[in-house]
Amino acid sequence: MRPILLAGHERALTQIKYNPDGDLIFSTAKDQQICVWFAHNGERLGTYHGHQGAIWTVDVDPTSTIIASGSADNTIRLWDIKTGKCLKTWDFPTAVKRVEFNEDGTKLLGVTEKRMGHLGTIVVLDIKVDVEAEQSDEKALTIVCDESKATVAGWSYCSKYIIAGHEDGSVSQYDAKTGDLLMNFPIHELNMAITDLQWSQDRTYFITASKDKTAKLITAKDLEVLKTYVSDTSLNSATITPKKDFVILGGGQAAMDVTRTSARQGKFEARFYHKIFEDEIGRVRGHFGPLNTVAADPTGKGYASGGEDGYVRVHQFDKGYFDFMYEVERERQNRLAAQQQQQQQQITA
Amino acid sequence: MAAVAKHDWADDEDLDETTTTTTQDLPPPQKIQNKDGSTTIIEYRINDNGQKVKTTRRIRLITHREVVNPRVAERKTWGKFGQSAKDVAGPAPDTTSVGENIIFKPSVNWRKDAKDESKDPNAQAMKDKLKDKKVKCRICNGEHFTARCPYKDTMAPIGDAAADAAAGTDDDTPGGGGGGAAATEGAGAAGAGKKGSYVPPALRGGAGGAGAREGDRMGGSKYGERDDLATLRVTNVSEMAEESELRDMFERFGRVTRVFLAKDRDTGLAKGFAFISFADRNDAVKACNKMDGFGFKHLILRVEFAKKAQ
Repeated sequence: MRPILLAGHERALTQIKYNPDGDLIFSTAKDQQICVWFAHNGERLGTYHGHQGAIWTVDVDPTSTIIASGSADNTIRLWDIKTGKCLKTWDFPTAVKRVEFNEDGTKLLGVTEKRMGHLGTIVVLDIKVDVEAEQSDEKALTIVCDESKATVAGWSYCSKYIIAGHEDGSVSQYDAKTGDLLMNFPIHELNMAITDLQWSQDRTYFITASKDKTAKLITAKDLEVLKTYVSDTSLNSATITPKKDFVILGGGQAAMDVTRTSARQGKFEARFYHKIFEDEIGRVRGHFGPLNTVAADPTGKGYASGGEDGYVRVHQFDKGYFDFMYEVERERQNRLAAQQQQQQQQITA
Repeated sequence: MAAVAKHDWADDEDLDETTTTTTQDLPPPQKIQNKDGSTTIIEYRINDNGQKVKTTRRIRLITHREVVNPRVAERKTWGKFGQSAKDVAGPAPDTTSVGENIIFKPSVNWRKDAKDESKDPNAQAMKDKLKDKKVKCRICNGEHFTARCPYKDTMAPIGDAAADAAAGTDDDTPGGGGGGAAATEGAGAAGAGKKGSYVPPALRGGAGGAGAREGDRMGGSKYGERDDLATLRVTNVSEMAEESELRDMFERFGRVTRVFLAKDRDTGLAKGFAFISFADRNDAVKACNKMDGFGFKHLILRVEFAKKAQ
């Protein structure tokens, strides 16, 4: 496969998001603009200007009408995807590290940083998915994380829970209506921050990436760890691929440690693991710095990764990727095919 | 007339250039349809140094049809905005480029595969080299490496016994060449006798064993099959000696195949030692006995059998 290199940012990437149709890619970096790209050819559709600080996060609503972004200038902004116009700005006392729309796009959560005497919080905002509509200023809900600040958060299926990953390596489940803490488990190693949390397509389980060099697949309902993927480097991002049962992990040595290491030693590769068997099945190299974010195309055709080097690399998978199967998987497929044939023969007879 | 003489051709050139850059009368971009269906686009522009740059691009358009969701199709018609507002349709070269091809094939034992791949160029070259070479065991002559021989621990290499026999000077080994080969084999085996000890390249294996001496290296393949057993080393040779004189002296005992007199490269004077090879080992033995202690140009010659270079 030939990756498409997108050089729209001057500084390290912070997050990449595909829209649900998989045709647009949104990228944010520590410079002050959001870029939107066409996924099929890497053409830049536009940039969104207005933030005054590093942009940490972006998310797109399910209808691909608006995007929300969170920045170090202590704001969450809402943008019209088509025109690049800023629709709404919410001010917060500290930087916003993560935003995410719920499944129907009616709510937006934002994770704010713990700083300057303010505790880390998770705020929920009501959103009207309409470019013309007036957005409300009021926060629908504020969850204060007094134990350890939340680094990442997301909405579970049916917007039932808010799941948050914390700096101390624990994962919490909050009731999305009341904001009550329902569960908190030390999933990752103590004081190893959770760096990413991405959902499966149906939002019943999610994957977390952590500085403790592991990624874990966890159920949303009772925070049960289903799978653990062990790597040899601290991880910054993890995503679940649709269509094929893989997960992609991205990481690498921290930016401050990389000066004397070659690309190979730095482990700046996207790592593919089999989602069920937990085996590493391949790596994709290319970045000159740690991978800060990886995102899988919702159509399952490719993935994009963003690195500390300021590049986004968009990959379209080859045939070999789709053909890959474990021996047991292949046997099962053959058996099912044989059974079907038998049934058909019986029907015709 | 004087004014014309003053006018320098170099200035002329300069003037010309400035006019082109200022007026910017660049040729219009050209589009040429090639016969093979591709299009050549030639564009002209002026770079930062004021030089004219011609860009030739050859483009082949391949129509790739894909049915997409109407929402996706609609988005493709959107106008660009922000920093891309001025970009024309299609990916802009300053933000979008295509990376080098990456081979990514998921595999359960990808780690091993990757290693094989990295070794590949060397391994391939080695394979080509050894394509028509046959593996032969030095112990049992079987078609496997000596190290893999099943008799490795129980049998000595074939050459060993023969070499022992050849070491006794009086014992005639049938066929000079064969004896020589056996001797080299023996040396090789002796060198490799201690397990794990260093064996110089010249003594490794039987194949290259013939090239074991300094002179051989220089002589190349010409002396490759030399019979070391019938070679005498002559020392205490006068500086004034000539190869022809030595040859005359030693030819009395039998056919001499080679005379080598070491000479200083700069002065051309003999260094004081020489090697004489005989066709027959018996002649060499005779010559050794007779010539040792022979007076030659005021010096007493010392003649002995040449030892293998260690």
